[in-house]
Amino acid sequence: MITEETETFSDTVEEEAPVEACTKCTACNTVCPVARSTDIFRGPKFLGPESERYRSHQETAVTAGLDLCSGCKLCEVTCPSQVTIQEYIRRAQNKGAEEGGRTLREWVLGHTRLLSTFGSMTAPLANFGNRNPLVRMLMEKVVGIHRKRPLPRYQWLTFERWMKRHPRPRQTRRTVAYFYGCWVNYNERRLGEQVVAILERNGIDVIVPKQKCCGIPAVVNSNMDLARKYGSENVRRLSELPADMDIIASSTSCGLMLKHDYAHLLEINGAEKVGARVYDICEYLWMLHEAGELDVDFQPVPMRLLYHAPCHLKSHGIGYPATRLLRLIPGVHLEEVDEGCCGISGTFGMKVEKYDLSMKIGSRLFEAVKAAGSDSVLADCETCRMQVEHGAGSRSAHPIDIVARAYGHG
Amino acid sequence: MPDTTTGVVVIGGGSTGAGVLRDLSMRGIDAVLVEKGDLASGTTGRSHGLLHSGGRYCVNDLAAAIECVEEGRILRRIAKTTVEDTGGYFVSVSEEDLAWEPRFVEGCAKAGITCERIPVEEARRREPALSRHVRTVFWIPEDGHLDPFYLVVGNVESARRRGAQVRTYTEVTGFLKNDNRVSGVVTRDIFTGEETTIGCQAVINATGAWAGFVARLLDVEVKVVPVKGVMVVLSHRVAHATINRCHKPGDGDIIVPALSVAILGTTSAKVPHPEVLPIEWDEVHHMIEEGALMADGVSTARAMRAYAGVRPLYDLGAEAEGREMSRNFAVIDHEARDGIAGFASIVGGKVTTYRLMAERVTDLVARRLGVRTPCTTAEVALNDREDEMDQLRHRPAQLGVPKPHGDELGLQALICECELVRPQDVAPWFKDPAVRTLEDIRRRTRSGMGPCQSAICSYRLAGRLVTERGLDGPTATRAMADFLETRWRGVRHVFWGSQLRQAQVTTGVHLELFNLDRQLMHDLPPSLAGEGRGGGFETAEVASQR
Repeated sequence: MITEETETFSDTVEEEAPVEACTKCTACNTVCPVARSTDIFRGPKFLGPESERYRSHQETAVTAGLDLCSGCKLCEVTCPSQVTIQEYIRRAQNKGAEEGGRTLREWVLGHTRLLSTFGSMTAPLANFGNRNPLVRMLMEKVVGIHRKRPLPRYQWLTFERWMKRHPRPRQTRRTVAYFYGCWVNYNERRLGEQVVAILERNGIDVIVPKQKCCGIPAVVNSNMDLARKYGSENVRRLSELPADMDIIASSTSCGLMLKHDYAHLLEINGAEKVGARVYDICEYLWMLHEAGELDVDFQPVPMRLLYHAPCHLKSHGIGYPATRLLRLIPGVHLEEVDEGCCGISGTFGMKVEKYDLSMKIGSRLFEAVKAAGSDSVLADCETCRMQVEHGAGSRSAHPIDIVARAYGHG
Repeated sequence: MPDTTTGVVVIGGGSTGAGVLRDLSMRGIDAVLVEKGDLASGTTGRSHGLLHSGGRYCVNDLAAAIECVEEGRILRRIAKTTVEDTGGYFVSVSEEDLAWEPRFVEGCAKAGITCERIPVEEARRREPALSRHVRTVFWIPEDGHLDPFYLVVGNVESARRRGAQVRTYTEVTGFLKNDNRVSGVVTRDIFTGEETTIGCQAVINATGAWAGFVARLLDVEVKVVPVKGVMVVLSHRVAHATINRCHKPGDGDIIVPALSVAILGTTSAKVPHPEVLPIEWDEVHHMIEEGALMADGVSTARAMRAYAGVRPLYDLGAEAEGREMSRNFAVIDHEARDGIAGFASIVGGKVTTYRLMAERVTDLVARRLGVRTPCTTAEVALNDREDEMDQLRHRPAQLGVPKPHGDELGLQALICECELVRPQDVAPWFKDPAVRTLEDIRRRTRSGMGPCQSAICSYRLAGRLVTERGLDGPTATRAMADFLETRWRGVRHVFWGSQLRQAQVTTGVHLELFNLDRQLMHDLPPSLAGEGRGGGFETAEVASQR
């Protein structure tokens, strides 16, 4: 009898669409850094699954307050029902922007790579301009980037060109591909050098396939088409690599795009396969350690360090491999500051109308960092590091920097 | 001497009774409506909300179809905030459906229903939800959604503005008579048990499926056949327009996008009593299965609840049963038929034709009272107070953040996030003496009608019972428990997938976090209405206003 009923049941009831799974438990609202910091944001539950009920069939889409979502994805991490909350919000944001036309700022911030190429070519001038109050005032008026937000420094020598001159090691156990991303290429070449040095020290040859921007700046600046163009190109190039070659990313958000968003948000063909081979650098090193392959002959690094876990790292669902890794290093005194989102969320905190909110979101973290005192604040994400330096006035580094020091590459 | 007197007492707070009350008040006749539950708590509120173009009846019931055509057009004019002009599709998915088509086209032509055959590809472009089983499509621009709650409340509020009165949860237990003339009614308050008499010159029995029970109090017979229909509510609209199967009306062949949800309907089964409406799993199953034949998304949407309504089919003496019976209505002049003056019944019909039904019975009673003012309900718009009748579909835009950045005033909290109910939407109803349970608030505002089925808004509303209605804590908590109980009755029929998980969350919030069951055992006043209906709340203050 029971069997009979069960059969009837499964005939009738197909698997529900993911948006239906929201049980209004409100867990997402409790972790949302934006909702915590402003009263004018209704929170992920309302703007995501709840509004989604209305969007597809309503003439007036629910869009008010949507732009305040910074895209940290903590809601998705915390959702007990696996509702892709932020993806619903993101799609609605972009639909609204597509209907309303893109702004100059969205174009500028979306084309990070283009902008960075230019910035890098004119590095001294660009860096001077980015720090010049008059230029910044103009930038604020014309483009809408807040004058107080420090912008990343450009480097004339890109990681790409450095890598071309870098001699490949002779004896290696295996080869990995490195997705270095725009940040390493144009702004922090040293991090890329350290990644290469650490991997080579462990007998791993690093190659750098030709690559575009991962696309996340375009996604968050209402340009899904551009993001899809970048993404498809990256997926195509990475698919050409040998099928068993692992892919390493040192930027949390680039890694998240490759691992997850290409396949799910952008629905790029073949992205699932590529994504399955992508690892965050610290995740990869920890895997090596677990396999007994990591060289743990570390020199002591006597530093007092704080670790801030970036929101997008939490989305990877890999825990905090950096902290595990750093605790292998003698002398390291590491503490986690568990104060949530730093507030910058990529280009979100650069925008003139979101700067204050961004600083307010990060204020708890800033206070904790100031109170704790440290030699450096570690974070896997570049914009988190920018924000901590700006908000807490502290030094910051990628955890890899400490590993490199322990290997004597400091 | 009766406690109060009026011109006409209308029994029944469904669409017909509300329509009659408005019609009377517009003709300048003093009237009181008495209803043993809440407004729209019987047949009307349990309809599927299809505003009939007439297409569904044009083959088998031409007279009813013609009435639907005319009344549908009138409602589009006078009840704009109540009607969603969605248009509708009639789709064929089987050989039998295709064979039905010529008769359908002929019927539409006879009834004057606009009906256009459109290529399937074109239809899919307009309505991507149409399933792959769909073979041919007719576009019926005059099908739509008619919100039964707004309709009844809109009629009643319109009548109240003209001096009419409403008493909910007030049951008629007997009649006052002078020889063979009805001179008033005896009523009993469901919650307090208080008896009141209302003197009047005429009584209109607009109780639909319950008409026989009311008539029996005067020892006259009105033969109404109660026919049950089961409906399933899906969590979102699924389609842009209503979808009907193009075949002989049968089970599970209607999908109505209704405000924020979609309603699948319906079944047809004779029941012994209008309040005995069991819902069986195979009925729910059948609705979803048949609905999925017409539209994609039916089987992947979340089924939120199931409910059953009862059709008040009037036995015209024919052999027909259930669906075969006419949806036509009849005005019974009991003076002419049974020799009882001052009493008329209005039976049969449909929500779509409620206004015409009201007009006909009011014509009769007005004539008997010597009132010559003609009916104007077809000309005067129902709703001259837009804010009170604000339709849900307008709310998303209103919920906006006008000047987001730098405006630290903050957003107003919502009462019900699922259905976008704002505090100002519920506030006036707390002051209305006709509103006596949280279910009544729900019917007037849609609070609690979304996917969580009142898990969240129930406690917010309970809080407002204290702050806005002046109830004490235990009474408000009891009202909340009763509200959850009535919601639960519909939800338990769809316990699988998300709605089952939802119920677990509701249980967690109310039984574990609030410890509600323990409070019910020890600290709370008992439910006033006992089994079968949510308890009402009433304070001395509110009662004294009545």
